[in-house]
Amino acid sequence: MEPSSSFPTDKTAPRRSFLAAAGSIVIGGLITLTPLFSGLAFFMDPLLRRRAPFKGGDADGFLAVTNLSDLPEDGTPLRFVLRADKVDAWNEFKDQSIGTVYLRKLPGNQIVAFNDTCPHLGCKVDYQEASKTFLCPCHASAFQLDGEPMNKIPPRKLDTLESKTDPDGKVWIKYQDFQCGVEKKGAV
Amino acid sequence: MRCRKEGGCLMNGLLNWLDHRTGYRTLMHEALNEPIPGGAKWKYVWGSTLTFVFAVQVITGFFLWSAYSPSTLTAWESVYYIQNVMSYGWLVRGIHHFAAQAMMILLGLHFMQVVIAGAYRAPREVNFWLGLVLMQIVLGLSLTGYLLPWDQKGYYATKVATNIVGVTPVIGPQLQQIAQGGTSYGHHTLTRFFALHAGVFPALLVGFLALHIYVFRRHGITVSKSDETKPAGSFWPDQVLMDAIACLGVLATILFFTVWKGAELTGPADPSEAYSAARPEWYFLFLFRFLKIEEVDKLGLAFGALYVPGAIMGVIALMPFIGHWKLGHRFNIAFTFALLAGASFLTAIALKEDAADKNYQAAVKAAEFEGHRAAELAKEFGIPPTGALSLLKEDARIQGPKLFARHCASCHRYNGHNGLDQVRMKEVEESGHKVKVEEPATAADLGQFGSREWITNVLTNYHSTFEPLKNAGEKGEKFLDGEMAGWVKENAETLKKSENVVSLQSLVEFLVSQGGRKEMQPFDPVLVTAGKEIFKTGKLASGFFTANCSDCHALRLADGSESLGDGAGPGYPTLTGYASRQWLTDFVKNPGHESFYGPERNLMPTFESKLSDKELKHLIDWMVGEYFQSK
Repeated sequence: MEPSSSFPTDKTAPRRSFLAAAGSIVIGGLITLTPLFSGLAFFMDPLLRRRAPFKGGDADGFLAVTNLSDLPEDGTPLRFVLRADKVDAWNEFKDQSIGTVYLRKLPGNQIVAFNDTCPHLGCKVDYQEASKTFLCPCHASAFQLDGEPMNKIPPRKLDTLESKTDPDGKVWIKYQDFQCGVEKKGAV
Repeated sequence: MRCRKEGGCLMNGLLNWLDHRTGYRTLMHEALNEPIPGGAKWKYVWGSTLTFVFAVQVITGFFLWSAYSPSTLTAWESVYYIQNVMSYGWLVRGIHHFAAQAMMILLGLHFMQVVIAGAYRAPREVNFWLGLVLMQIVLGLSLTGYLLPWDQKGYYATKVATNIVGVTPVIGPQLQQIAQGGTSYGHHTLTRFFALHAGVFPALLVGFLALHIYVFRRHGITVSKSDETKPAGSFWPDQVLMDAIACLGVLATILFFTVWKGAELTGPADPSEAYSAARPEWYFLFLFRFLKIEEVDKLGLAFGALYVPGAIMGVIALMPFIGHWKLGHRFNIAFTFALLAGASFLTAIALKEDAADKNYQAAVKAAEFEGHRAAELAKEFGIPPTGALSLLKEDARIQGPKLFARHCASCHRYNGHNGLDQVRMKEVEESGHKVKVEEPATAADLGQFGSREWITNVLTNYHSTFEPLKNAGEKGEKFLDGEMAGWVKENAETLKKSENVVSLQSLVEFLVSQGGRKEMQPFDPVLVTAGKEIFKTGKLASGFFTANCSDCHALRLADGSESLGDGAGPGYPTLTGYASRQWLTDFVKNPGHESFYGPERNLMPTFESKLSDKELKHLIDWMVGEYFQSK
């Protein structure tokens, strides 16, 4: 910085000026960063706090979907809507559709449940009766009945969901969404 | 230039590169090396603190914007969410809230410094006017921001402001409707206020602030005569350090209030509910009180709210010219201090009056409680799409006391007040003067109704429990002289005997158990069984009742297993499920029913047609404690 002719000229001046300059910078930084960091921390709220996207499942988060007897015996997948109380920030909407799933009944009353969201980029896959495959309308991801990918487009197989059958023959699903576009299945 | 260190060399190179292309060094030099004759001084810090607080508002305002939703169904809700749920939301909103108030104070200090220093004089007139424009913009920001949370306080305070706009001559109503986005408050009031608050006003402020600083630098700082001849200091670093320390002090104060008090959020705005605690923010309180002065009020709202403030602003705007005259500068200073003194005086009166007004204090407390309650309910149940107000509208804890105040408190009291902590007053003539006195009750205080204390009092202290009935005319007197009163007169002494402590407790426990109220539980089963025998037989540990309870009162046990009596006929209140939700509902619906007081003895109005089923439910649920209570 160019020296100013109007600066005081006594010997202590440079030292005092340095302290004043350093103090200004430190305090100036502190007072600007305090509101900025408070705001940034606030903005990071989605990462700092986990919220359940819906209320109304049983103790383990399972939702009743259908009756075992309503599923076809030959293992054809059927799509079901899951209903629960949707939580969106401050609002709670009663009895809303919170997602859709494909259910298959295998021999021995075993249930296979797929989240029908394509693991590629999140469009909904549709079951094609003719070819017995799940097809994604967005980028042509295709999956077999067991969820295995039939081409290189999706990074992994269709995401399965936990299910259980109660003594009354009701099928319960633990609905979750998963991170798209990555090889590893991870709940979000 | 050679550099000894590798890193330093790289840094210098980069900065040279940047300077070559931007000329930032000249700019920094221009910005920082302003000469200050006489050196840095604390009294020069106010402009910088204002700029700093504005920067704080821009930063925190942006982040609040990212979570705020302007509509009548989401404004309060999103602010509640920011304040109570989101991480650090209380901090960001608190800083924004208290920084807004700090800005008003700093504005006042800056203005006073300018007037005292005579900084409005030639050649700085235009900059003085630019400052006045900035002042209006800040007032606009403060006014529009106050409404955005859409809580009772902001809603009613802002309504006053827009109604004042409405009395502007000629174009008032049009102006008001443009501001409101319609003839009444609604979604568009919020979207418009928000657009002004977060868009138009900040943009104007930035523009005028840039002009203000530009013109300020053109003329330099105004220093006193004695300083003009002294050697000049420089803005950097001495004055910058002082400014920074002052800003730090301001920020520390803002943070202190944020942590200590926190930004408040009263209950969601309710156009259907009078808000008797309506006041503007403290810095406008003087104007509020000014408008309440009788002489001012007589001259019309436009006079007090528009012409007087307009005239004051006019005088301020003319200060540069007034300052030309001999004594003109002194006049300006005197005018400023007179304004300050007047405003302080009016503020002090307003605060003093409010502090002495019990009903106002109760209304403030009620508004705070509604905010707290709405947040509590929102946390527990989530907010329905119809908004947080509907949570309060369906809440017995909130609606019960209001219904009590409206329908019951003309005769009854609730722990001495009207249910809302207010005392009913009436005007009476006293030696030619009208004075306000407390309105006497004409029926029992129901604050403890159905509790153990209540039953104990009815059994042993009948007269004092129902004493207000002496104000209720002939029928009231008869009530106080009735059979039950007579029974208590005969038996109270026996019941109060020390040998009969447990007997009394048992009878009370038995009766209170008949109501089955949650808030009275648990009931002592041993006492209940003993009490049942006393009710049937009148046999105490020491002595007997002159007449058994069951001689007069009907009582069927809650499970229907046993009837202890069928009552002595119409007008002897049934004690089946005494003080329960059902008993109280039936009673309030028709107290003159034969199974209660009967048409002959009853004094209380029938509420069957006066209250809707929902209102009745809210009232009774509140009285018996049947509402959500947080742990």
